[in-house]
Amino acid sequence: MDKAISVQALTIAYGAATAVSAVDLDIARGKVTVLAGPNGCGKSTLLRAIRRLHQPKSGEIRLGDLPISGLKEKELARHIGLLAQSPSAPDDMSVEELVRLGRYPHQTMLQPWSAADADAIQAAMFGTGVSHLAERRLGSLSGGQLQRVWIAMVLAQETDIICLDEPVNHLDMAHQIDCLDLVSRLNREHGRTVVLVLHDLNLAARYADRLVFMKEGSLVADGAPVELMQETLIENVFGISCRVIEDPVHQRPLCIPIRNSSPRFGAAPPV
Amino acid sequence: MTVLVPRLSPALARINRRAWIAVAIIALVTVALTLCGIGFGSTWIDPRRIVEILMGDGTRGERVVVLQLRAPRVAIAALAGGAMAVAGYLLQKVTRNELASPGVLGVIGGAGLGVVIFLALLSDESNSLVTSIVWQPVAAMIGASLAIAAVFLLSGQQASSAVRLLLFGIAVGAVCKAATLILMIVGPIYRTTQASRWLAGAVNEINWGEVQVVAIGLAIAMVGVVAVARRLPPTDLDEVSARGLGLNLPVFRILVFALASALTALAVAFAGGVGFIGLMAPHLARLIVGRPVLAGIAASFLLGAIMLIGADLIVRVLFAPTEVPAGTVTAVIGTPYFLYLVLRRGSTNG
Repeated sequence: MDKAISVQALTIAYGAATAVSAVDLDIARGKVTVLAGPNGCGKSTLLRAIRRLHQPKSGEIRLGDLPISGLKEKELARHIGLLAQSPSAPDDMSVEELVRLGRYPHQTMLQPWSAADADAIQAAMFGTGVSHLAERRLGSLSGGQLQRVWIAMVLAQETDIICLDEPVNHLDMAHQIDCLDLVSRLNREHGRTVVLVLHDLNLAARYADRLVFMKEGSLVADGAPVELMQETLIENVFGISCRVIEDPVHQRPLCIPIRNSSPRFGAAPPV
Repeated sequence: MTVLVPRLSPALARINRRAWIAVAIIALVTVALTLCGIGFGSTWIDPRRIVEILMGDGTRGERVVVLQLRAPRVAIAALAGGAMAVAGYLLQKVTRNELASPGVLGVIGGAGLGVVIFLALLSDESNSLVTSIVWQPVAAMIGASLAIAAVFLLSGQQASSAVRLLLFGIAVGAVCKAATLILMIVGPIYRTTQASRWLAGAVNEINWGEVQVVAIGLAIAMVGVVAVARRLPPTDLDEVSARGLGLNLPVFRILVFALASALTALAVAFAGGVGFIGLMAPHLARLIVGRPVLAGIAASFLLGAIMLIGADLIVRVLFAPTEVPAGTVTAVIGTPYFLYLVLRRGSTNG
């Protein structure tokens, strides 16, 4: 496997609490990898650690062959783009202005602005279908439009790897599909390596080339969606008894939750 | 080969052009107010006459009044007001909070305390300094840096939360003000005529030597401001997004706080603890020129200058011949404005 990123024995702690413990993970170049798991399983922490926003307690993350700890801030930002979980920008900022910020890591004292920057911005806005919104204020956009603009910003960064932390959290169903179709197109047509954190297991199974299950800071399982979408495994990781069938449209595994089997909410009656 | 392309799209170029036109208009107002500031006094001097005197014309009497008495006072008001306004602009940007300002973050209080300690230690009985006045802004800078460092350390892990910074800033500022007051009452300060300056801020009894020190310090600080300005845009975003773009926010934030402290210290060193200019001027600047950063900094400087020259003019018109500190005017106007910002929704960003 051609590895875009490899995570080796990574442990991350917030004070005394361990958020990610001894995780080994290789992220394949040019594929969509989805990190999934229940709340607080450490999937977002792992994603942010890949972008070096958390200092590891132990272990290492490599970008190709290079340890990310040795890269300069802007250098790293030219390799990995990150869409934050709840990004925020001033309401009076224009769409174009936000997308331009994606070029920040490419600008230096000697080369503050180049044709490549202008092209990248145009391409990013066109690719996400927000060109016509360029002069609009962010505060005047709908949730779905706003998310596209944020993706355009990350796209303008022109990184090989794009990390998205729960990008569809605040969107309605139509915009969820719209957003993930867009991400999937970036992967297929532009060959970007995509790492996604997703809450919704069925969306994860539908868009992932490779699925990673996490629970309580540890990596539990890792493989193609058909391998991981097993009823017992899902029950073990997510604490829910379910049936898995094949989605008749996309031929992907589809999980139908039956009931919560987690003792947290009281013991579930026998099925 | 590098291809030359317009740095801004037509839409952004238009916004930028509009911003600089606004800056030019504010600059004209500043010049007009400066002439008024010099012209007003026991005898009114016509603006045209002032320009002639500044060019080297005029009688001996006129030259003393304009060049020795009035111009330094107006000059220091312009420079100090401008410096504090730029400090406020930087702080508001980097904390993403329009309530942030040198006053609210305790920097003015710290700088004032630094100067008062300096004067207490280094004045002799004949009311003169035993060392060069160049060290006065240095003392202010040490006080300002210690104050902002204390605010940072107290905020601890949550130093990125603007609200926490503001709360500790207000507390540290209050402690510094109290210490300043105690020092003025019990301490061996012989320059009692200037005492009120370190609490409220005033620009009377300024000489060219002091103006020179501030001007040179400010010129150096402005180089830093322009360098920092290029990196400011990502700070408009949330912390994760800004860092994702490759801005080392924890380090950058400390850099900006240090720069803002230096600017504030330069102002406080000779004009004293003038409050609220660092809060109001950048806010007004953003209202007028919008989002472009360099134009915003320029407009903040000019509006800060206008506010302090104006405040000084007001106390001279209303209370002459009694010397009332100009800082009382900025406080009287600034306090309700601060409350308005607090009460308005969305002003406490995180």
